[in-house]
Amino acid sequence: MDSLTFQNMSKAYGGVPALQDVTLALKGGRVHALMGENGAGKSTLIKCIAGVVRADDMRVEKDGHAIPLASAQDAQAADFRFIHQELNIVPQVSVAENILLGRRFPRRFGVAVNWPVVRARARAALMFLGADHIDVKALAGDLSPGDQMLIKIAAALVTDPKTDHQADLYVLDEPTAALTGEESELLFDVIARLSATGAAVLYVSHRIDEVFRICDDVTVLRDGRNVSSCPIQETTKDQVIRDMTGRDVRDAYPQRAQPHAATVTAQLTSVQTPRLRDVSFELKAGEVLGVAGLSEAGQSELLDVFMGLEPVVSGKARLLGRKLPSDPAAAWQAGVAYLPKERRRQGLMLNMSIQANILAPHLHTHGLVAKAGRERRNALTMSAKMRMKYDSIDQPVGQLSGGNQQKALFARALHGQPKLLLLNEPTRGVDVGAKFDIYQTVRDFSAQGCAIVLTSSDLPEMLGMCDRILVLQDGQQTALLDCASLSSADLLSHFYAPAAKV
Amino acid sequence: MLGFVAILVFFTIQLPDTFLTARNLINISQQLSMLAVVAATMTIVMVMNDFDLSVGSMASLAGIVAATLFAMEYPVWVGLVGALLVGVAGGLFNGFLVSIVGILPFVATLGTLTVFSGAAFLISDGKTIFGRDIPAAFSGFARGGIEMGDIKIPFLTITAGLVILVCWFVLEQTNFGRRLYAIGGNKEAAHLAGIKVKRLRLIAFGLTGLGAAGAGLMYAARVASANPTQGSGLMLDAIAAVFLGMTMSRQGEPRVVYTLIGVLILGILDNGLTQMQVDSYIREILVGLIVIAAVAIASLSKRSSA
Repeated sequence: MDSLTFQNMSKAYGGVPALQDVTLALKGGRVHALMGENGAGKSTLIKCIAGVVRADDMRVEKDGHAIPLASAQDAQAADFRFIHQELNIVPQVSVAENILLGRRFPRRFGVAVNWPVVRARARAALMFLGADHIDVKALAGDLSPGDQMLIKIAAALVTDPKTDHQADLYVLDEPTAALTGEESELLFDVIARLSATGAAVLYVSHRIDEVFRICDDVTVLRDGRNVSSCPIQETTKDQVIRDMTGRDVRDAYPQRAQPHAATVTAQLTSVQTPRLRDVSFELKAGEVLGVAGLSEAGQSELLDVFMGLEPVVSGKARLLGRKLPSDPAAAWQAGVAYLPKERRRQGLMLNMSIQANILAPHLHTHGLVAKAGRERRNALTMSAKMRMKYDSIDQPVGQLSGGNQQKALFARALHGQPKLLLLNEPTRGVDVGAKFDIYQTVRDFSAQGCAIVLTSSDLPEMLGMCDRILVLQDGQQTALLDCASLSSADLLSHFYAPAAKV
Repeated sequence: MLGFVAILVFFTIQLPDTFLTARNLINISQQLSMLAVVAATMTIVMVMNDFDLSVGSMASLAGIVAATLFAMEYPVWVGLVGALLVGVAGGLFNGFLVSIVGILPFVATLGTLTVFSGAAFLISDGKTIFGRDIPAAFSGFARGGIEMGDIKIPFLTITAGLVILVCWFVLEQTNFGRRLYAIGGNKEAAHLAGIKVKRLRLIAFGLTGLGAAGAGLMYAARVASANPTQGSGLMLDAIAAVFLGMTMSRQGEPRVVYTLIGVLILGILDNGLTQMQVDSYIREILVGLIVIAAVAIASLSKRSSA
């Protein structure tokens, strides 16, 4: 396939336009980035291409010939493959079954599943991705998020040998959102292999550095319209950000606050837990401490220590001059606020109102019986402080965009002036504009003396936001670095540095 | 909601002389009072996406416990308190299995359904306890009421009304209730947001058990006897009522007020069809189909709007 163009794409939901006359021109063998803030129309565009949502108007031409695209079957027939943002694998079944999920399993004697063939085909797909370290018989749920993402890609790759078609288009929607740096690298290799087959790749990401590394062309959407579209060499990061936001975002990371107060918020000395070893640090009020390392080196567990979710086995640990809380309820009471890693699974009650979501940990503050008026005022104040966008505070939080959902979690965490704020991937799947709001809020709270422990797979973000970074290797603390003169490369080298064996 | 009005209008037209009379409505309210109590307290666990299959056999057991205590010539209050304590204990046991041990509510309460039912047979020796063993002060309650002009509002109706009011207050006006909704919204997120999920689930099941026992006592008082199977019809009707109610709320969450409407729909259907002399087997088929239709329409319309 040489060229694939989508023209005059328009879609309105209940009279509100989500896409207006958008054009997207893809070429075989090239990786095309689709960028835009949350709500710019990226998701709608992908849904139209997938045939999940029927566009009000759209012309599709493959190599100059018009093709129909009104249903998911049409998209399948046109050899389009989709890898969606959320990890939708079935954790209870094997890797091989996940890869062939939704397809007709090869059979023996007409009825029985031919397992050797199923496994062989799954193995072939993984092999192509360079991911032959994954055992096709393992349960998908036991794999790391990165390997799970590879399974999804493998699932998109698998073809029916009888109708041996190569895919013509791969759409990857925020594939690195759940991945660590190292896993992302593997994915970039895979993308290179996919485009080498002659297929077009449409790559949707908020991470501008990635886009400039691996993409050949970039199209930017804003408010449902084309803003710019060009080969990536002809533009710059600043220009793309301007195109996305319609404004200049000079420095993504706001200036650090004044030097910290001398008060110590938390102190850990040689702490050992089921998953962590040798953790020692002192966290001062207003300080931002980053926790970094390779995928699942214990970052989440270190945050969990302060929530009472990771019990301290030995060593000394004090929080605000007291023992560590024993469960999340006690932690919130003690002034610890937690922003969990997986916002939909661990953070939000999606069907419930924005107000209920913000107030969930703070219901005790007003006594036994609900005080409707005061609570509403508090929720409104917090959501305004986070610059959330919504129709009504009673709207289910699941209807909001990803960035606004994340802001709702921030509004929850910052309600009631926490003394320690735990942030696990605070800007995952959040657009540039919302990111800036979030960074500014984090700075404001640190300036007010709130201590912050932050972990993120986005290294520039860690370097931009943190005062110090604690490096973990397989649960062991191996370094505690000052961020002032630290580069990405320095930090990365610490992830891999051989740990000093004691 | 519209369906509810439609059913009312339908029976009013079909049964002009008997349906919409104060006497009949009071009759309905009294017949429904037990179901209303069970359904309202069932709502408490269903708010958390849990449910309790054991309420019917718990109601039977509570009636038997009270009647047995009466037969042993304890005063009335001892019988009542004893039965309610059994209810709380049984409910907490459900809660323990579901929340602390971590068994699925379906399996746990299916098990306790059998246990409670067996216990009721064991205590009563499989016989109905009636006649002189049941004190007049107990059964008289069910026949009494507050006179208002020429109509009498039965105590059973008033009791049900009070229980519904308390459940509504607890679920919608207290922090306890809103934490239960948060648990229903997302258990893991609720736990991480500092809500004591285990403890609250335990308490909620205890309350449902208490409600079931209360309904069992009301039933025993009304028929002035206790029999080890008399509560068994309550469980399915109560769950059906909550499901009907869930179709009316905005996000499909259970709410006490809508549960009450669900109870009324079931009761009015039953009463109206009986008066129209529809065969009781056909009546059951109709009621089942109407419940399915209501839930189906609600889920189909939700899908088209999403």
